[in-house]
Formats: sequence, C-alpha cells, structure tokens
Amino acid sequence: MRHNAIRCFLALLGAVLTIAAAPARAEMPAWEQQLYDAAKKEKQFTVYTAHYDTETIADLCMAFDKRYPGVKCNFVRTTAQVAYQRFQQDLQAKLAVASVFSSTDVSHYPDLKKRGLLMQYQPHNLAKMVDSLKQYNDKDNYYWVTASALVVIAYNNSLVSEKDAPKKWTDLLDPKWKDKVSIGHPAFSGYVGTWVVLMRKLYGWDYFEKLEKNKPQIGRSINDTVTMLNAKERWVAAGPEATTLLSRDKGNPLSVIYPSDGTLLMVSPTGIPKNAPAPNAAKLFVEFMLDKEAAEVQVKNHQLSVIKGIKPAPGAKPLEEIKVMRPTEEEITKGIPEVKEKFRDTFGI
Amino acid sequence: MGEGIAGRAAAGTPVAPAAAPSAFGQRWRHLDKSSWVWLLAIAVLLFLVVNPLFRLLLASVQEQDTGAFTLANYAAAYSRSRYVDALVHSLVLGTSSALLCLAFGLPLAWAVSRTDMPGKGLIWISILGTFVIPPYLGAVGWMLLAGPNAGWLNRFAIELTGMQKGPFNIYSMPGLVLVTACYSFPYVFVFTKSALDLVSSEMEDAANILGCGNFKATLSITLPLVLPAILAALILVFLEAIALFGSPALLALPGRFHVVTTQLWQFFEFPPKVGVAAAYAMPLLAITVFLFWLQRRITHRKGYVALTGKGGERRPIKLGGWKWPLLGYCLAVCTLSFFMPMVVICQAALAKAWGRGFRLDNLTFDNLYFTLFENTLTRNATINTFVYAGSAALIAIALALCIAYIVNRQLVGKKLGNVLSFLTMAPFVIPGIVLAIGFYAAYTRPPLLLYGSAWILILAFATRFLPIAYANSNAAIRSINPELEDAVRILGGTRFTAIRRVVAPLLKRSLAGAFILVFIPGTRELSSAIFLSSINTQVLSVLLFDKSDEGNFEMLAAIGVILVLITVVFILIGFRLMGRDFMLRRTAA
Repeated sequence: MRHNAIRCFLALLGAVLTIAAAPARAEMPAWEQQLYDAAKKEKQFTVYTAHYDTETIADLCMAFDKRYPGVKCNFVRTTAQVAYQRFQQDLQAKLAVASVFSSTDVSHYPDLKKRGLLMQYQPHNLAKMVDSLKQYNDKDNYYWVTASALVVIAYNNSLVSEKDAPKKWTDLLDPKWKDKVSIGHPAFSGYVGTWVVLMRKLYGWDYFEKLEKNKPQIGRSINDTVTMLNAKERWVAAGPEATTLLSRDKGNPLSVIYPSDGTLLMVSPTGIPKNAPAPNAAKLFVEFMLDKEAAEVQVKNHQLSVIKGIKPAPGAKPLEEIKVMRPTEEEITKGIPEVKEKFRDTFGI
Repeated sequence: MGEGIAGRAAAGTPVAPAAAPSAFGQRWRHLDKSSWVWLLAIAVLLFLVVNPLFRLLLASVQEQDTGAFTLANYAAAYSRSRYVDALVHSLVLGTSSALLCLAFGLPLAWAVSRTDMPGKGLIWISILGTFVIPPYLGAVGWMLLAGPNAGWLNRFAIELTGMQKGPFNIYSMPGLVLVTACYSFPYVFVFTKSALDLVSSEMEDAANILGCGNFKATLSITLPLVLPAILAALILVFLEAIALFGSPALLALPGRFHVVTTQLWQFFEFPPKVGVAAAYAMPLLAITVFLFWLQRRITHRKGYVALTGKGGERRPIKLGGWKWPLLGYCLAVCTLSFFMPMVVICQAALAKAWGRGFRLDNLTFDNLYFTLFENTLTRNATINTFVYAGSAALIAIALALCIAYIVNRQLVGKKLGNVLSFLTMAPFVIPGIVLAIGFYAAYTRPPLLLYGSAWILILAFATRFLPIAYANSNAAIRSINPELEDAVRILGGTRFTAIRRVVAPLLKRSLAGAFILVFIPGTRELSSAIFLSSINTQVLSVLLFDKSDEGNFEMLAAIGVILVLITVVFILIGFRLMGRDFMLRRTAA
C-alpha cells in the first residue's frame, strides 16, 4: 500500500461522503490491518450460521469480501439444531471446517464453552455495541451478540384491519380469533421456544391453555407463520418481524404490531471454534459483524442493528420506541426444555 | 448383526485359500472367474450397508459419552405413550398410502401398458412429472389447495354449494395419506408397467380361446404374472411412506399428530440423543425383515417367468367404449398429483408477492431468472444435484444387478442369498436422517475419510435408493428364464458371455427404467443430504427445504419449478439418446 498524504486525505473524504463507494479506503487501525494481513494468508473461512436467511448471509459475505479483498467468506446456512449437529460431526471426524459458529439457540454456547471448544477473544468493536445488548455477551469473551431481532404480532392486512388487529399478546386469546391464529413449535424453533418462555413468565401456563381453545395452527419454524398468513389460511400470528417485513417488501399483504405488553427481543451470539482453520479471518469477521457495514446490511434485511447509531429500515419502528422484553439467560436455558414438554402436553404434539 | 454373517460368508466362498497349495491350485483352475465380480459386489455391500447399519446398532446400545453397553436408550425410546403412538401412526400411514398407491398406480399401469386407451403419452408425462416433484413441494401445493380455511378447493366448494365450511382438511391423517400416495404411486406404476410390458399377449389369447373374457383374463392371468413386481413396489411404497420426513413435518404437526420421523427429529434436538434415535429406529428394521418374509411366503415356489426367448407378441387390448372412463380415471389421478399442485406452485414461482394471488401486475420471471443465473449458490446446487443423482443411480444399479443375479441364480448359498437381499433392501427403511448419521459415523474417520467430498453424498444416495434398484432388477431377472443362459453355457460360452449377450440386452429396458427410478429420488432426496452436504456440495433439495423454513415462498416455488423442469427435460433427452420411444413402444426390448 502506498502512503501518500493527498491520497489519504481524498480517501478519508470519500469515506465520509459515501461508504464503500471509493476504491481507496480510510486507513485501517493497526489491529485491523494486522488481522487482515494474517487473514489474507488463510485465504478463506467458513461461517456456520442460523442467524439469517440465505439472502442476508450472502449479502453479508459479499460485503465482507468487498471490504477485505483476498479473504473469501463462505457460509453454510441451516437451522440452529442442524448447525450444531454439523459442528459436532466435524469435531468427531476431527475435521476443522467452521471458523465462525452462529447459532440462534443460546443454550449451545454455555455448553461449547464448558467443553473448551470456543476461542477467547475480545473484539475491538465491542465498544460500538448498543448498551442494552452488552449484557448478553459472554463475560469471559467466548461469544458475542452479533444479531438481534424481534418476535411480534403479525397479521394479513387484506383480512384484518389495523383497528381490529390484536394489540397485545393476550388479545390472541380472544374467541374471535378461533381457528385464525398461527404459531410455531418450540421444539423446532428457538424463537418460538423463547417466546413461550416469555408468555409463561408474563401470564403463566394458563396462557397456552386458553390459546389452545382458539385451536392455533402449529408449524415448525416461526417463519411458517408467514406462509400461513400469506395463504390466508390464518389471519394473525406470533411471528418474526424480519421475515414478515421482508415478505411485505415484496408486496405481500402483511403488517406487524409491536405488542404493548412487551415485544420479545431475540439475541443471537457468535463464537469462534477453538479449532477454527482460519482464526484470524474469523476474528476479522466478528469485528466486521460489530461494525457499520454489516449493521446496515442487517437493517436492510429487517434485522436489528447490534451497534449504535444505525437508522432502522423504512417502515420499521426504531428500537427506542418499542417496549422490548427478554427473559434472562437462565430462564431461557432452563425454561426451554420445560416448556417443550408442557407444550406437547397441552397441544398434543 | 448382518456383518458377521456376510463377512464370514464372503471369506468362505470358493476363493478362500484352501489348506493345501495343490488343492488351491486345482480349485483355482476350476473356479468360475466371474466369482470376483460377485465377491466385489458383496464387499461393496459391506461397505455401503453393513458398516453404517452396524454403527447404528452399536449406537443404540451404547452410552453416548462413555461407549459403555446399556439398554437405557431403548427404555428412553419407548417410555412414553406419545412415542409409541407415533409408531402406530406411521404404520397406519404406511399401510393406507400403500393401498391408495395400488388404487392409483395399478389401473394406470395396465391402461398405459396393455390397452388402446387414447392419451397415453399425456398420462405418462404427467406421471413422470409427478414423480419428479419432491413430496414436500407437493405437500406445500396441497396446503394451498386443501387448507381448511382458505384452500382453493374449499373455497370452490363453498362457492358451488353455499355450505358454511369447506369439506377438505389437508392437515389430517387422510390428507397426509393422500399427499404421500400422490408422490409414491409412480413406483407402483413403473414397476407394474415394466413387468406388464414383458407379458406376451399369447397367454391372454390362450385364456380367450378357452372362453375367458378380457377382464377375467387380465385378473386371472396377467395380474398374477406381475405379482412380484406389484409386491416389490408395495413394499417400497410402504417403506418410503414411513421414512418420509418433509410432508409429515408440514402436514402432521399442524394436524396435531406425530409420526416416527417427526419424533426422531426431536431426538436430535439439543442435546442430541443419537443412541435413543438409533434405538427408536430399530422397529423399522424389524418391519423390513417381516415384509421380506411375507413377500417370500407369497411368491414362494411359483413361476413368474414370462420372458422365455420364444418370441411372443404384445397387442393392446381393445377397450371399446370403456376407454373413455378409463382415461377419465387416469386424468383424475394425474390432476390430483400433478396438475393441481403444479398450478399453485407455478403461481407462486411467477409472482412478485404470491399472497396477492393471480394478477397480471403481480407476474414476474425474476424469481426464476435469479435462481438460475444470478444466484451462484442455486446454480452450483443445480449442477451438483444432477451429477450426484446420476452417479448414484449408476452405482446403485450396477450393484443391485449383481446382487439380484447372484441371488436369483443361486451363485451363493440360499441362506446367504437371503441375507444379501435383506441387506440390499434394508437402507430404504432407515429414515434418511438416521442413515446420514450412520454414514457419518462410518466414513468421517481414517481410513475412509469421505465427509466434505461429493462422494459421501453420492454413496449415501446410492445406498438409500439401492432397494429401488434392487427391487427392479430382481423383478426383471426373475422374469428371465435361466434356460436362456444355460443355452449359452452349453454352447461353450462363459457366464459373462451369457450376461453380456443375452441377459443385458433383455434387461436394457428394465434397467433404463431402474435408472430413472433411482435418479429421480436422488434429485429430490432431502433427509440424508441435510447432514452430509457441505459448502461446496450443496444440492437443490436442501436449498428448497431451507427456503421452507425461511418463509420465502416465492423462491421456494421457483427452485421447485426449476428442479421439476430440468429433471423432466433430462429424462426426455435421455430417452432420445437411448434411441427408444420409452413411453409408447409396445414390443419387447
């Protein structure tokens, strides 16, 4: 790289005016340059992720490749349990494939940490993180929140007017929604599992006894609710904000409500496996995930930004204006296996 | 379990070194050199089937962390009535779908193979199309057709009759049975048709001459002759129905019941209980053994040789006025399985936002274009899918043919023959997820490190569909009179000459059919691919399934349409290249 004062100034100016538009970039801080140089020797790395849909992770990898030419970002996008199973398979086979492990099931991480399978690292960009999310990082720096999303009430606006739509979670128990509610299954989806834990915390198990009277349609993934609403098979749902709004962006007749009794906040951590074949590239990727470009890609795809100072996508409510709630880590880890069993007893599957 | 027997037998066949060198030399001279091929086939079987099965059995009696012997896995797997209920549901599902497949497949096969019904080409293409549709894609289509609240059929019924609520509910056992049967009946069709194609009209003529009507001749002469093929197909359909994951996950859960596979999936939740899953899968193996025993009982000591080499003519039966009702029935079946679901799926694939329904301003080709050309992931997956399915089909057929030949010509002892044929059929009943785990356990450590390469997928697909190749090859070889080969041997030809010059040409057509029967499920195979594919070895079925839990229905439908279209085109080109009009030619190969 050539160091030239004028070029440097122009590059800075360019970076200020438009992000990633100018080929010559702002000077990297020394630590970043160091990681980048080391990562270039590793050439490529693989992310196991359950955080996003395929398009979003493809966008993120593309943005990474553009910012760090010479380090190729590969990804395997699956559901959380499959990602975990694959990671275990790799370990058993003594194959080091994943350099970054991103699951949505928070109980995976304490387990991996306890078994000494994660690498300790303190990301420099951790300081940029939204303060309220910092509590969900591992205190020993084995994993960090890199994605965050909301579980909301979604409805088909060609069938339900905004006035009639449910405003809070207990509205879903109203008999007028009999045969019209759609939810996922806690045994298949970490989002649904956490949502069930939150509902139990707020209203007791009684909530689900009553919900069963409305005969909700139970899918697997929380995203199945989007399909059911679009098909007009069901009218209202406890659904994911991101997927619902992505489908709405295409023109589907969907809307979301942020429940007044508490929108569920989902946080999803990322860790670096101890046996990562490309540890430097992995660290660089984690830093990248905690930086502006990645946040903007995520926001564009209706995930929440985990770092400060990023505007929400058009149509989404800014996080400050939403009453968010989240059970504690312990409530989740302990609660999910319990509610899975109770859920099966109540709903019969 | 099987390894011990087969392993010993492999060592005990003629090539095993004899005690004295001179005796060995003598045996060597008299040894039919073709034994090497049989031995190789048995070795491959050990590698593909026995080893993973053995690992599975081992896992079921081992403690997960320590590896110590335990029966706790079995206790855990059957401790709850819920788990046992799921087993019962699977049996109901398997039996009902098999019977429905028979009702769908048999009349169609007979109509296309033996009658002068019009529109055979259309029926054949629709069945081919049906077969190519992955069952879970069909299930998605049916969710939109027969959803209890907004399904098109229900809305239509309400419109028509003014009733309060539509009559159809796809989220129920009957719904699941219908969808399963729709995407499995092509097995019955193809098996039965290829057997029917070989039955000469002279047998029916004989019955006619003796005063038997066409209908009675068909029932009492033709159908019994193809009984082995029908039975083989029924077993396959039953086994496929109970090993299916995609459609039950989509239909049974909202219908509030479990089957074995959805229950199995829960054993893989964190923390995964592989041992319990293995123990839970064991009854499926027991069922396979039982079905085999049953099949043998039924077809035991009866002659099904139809292809004698003594000529024989095949003429279509003249149906007269009956051809229209028959065509109507064929079309009705194809409408259920192919036309209606495809209309729904195409609507979504061509929509900007499918929730808005049919509208000109909602029409777009972007989804298809993006999937095929812009998205490197789907483009590579498309290529991988067809390469893997093709290679798997070749391997499976070569192996199945060898085994079927060994067993039918009794080149090894009868007992070993039975073991071989059981082993060849066993993979089908192992749910793909479990097979994948078995494969995984077997081939991810040195000396056979296959994980991460295309080979593990190809071999897993080949293993998974080996039973189809086997059932088909077996039925085909059974229909060839051994006297044909004996004639070659008497005239001084070796067994290989007999196979090359007589058996192979006679089998060409059945084999082309068998290839397609393995190739197609290979292109749509999901459950084993989920765990075995990696970044460079993605396949379309996995992408498709991912899309189904991403809620991105437009892309899901687009990938589905592309999968179906390309497969159909490939198969049609294949027929052209083989220089035969596979569908309509009526004379024997």
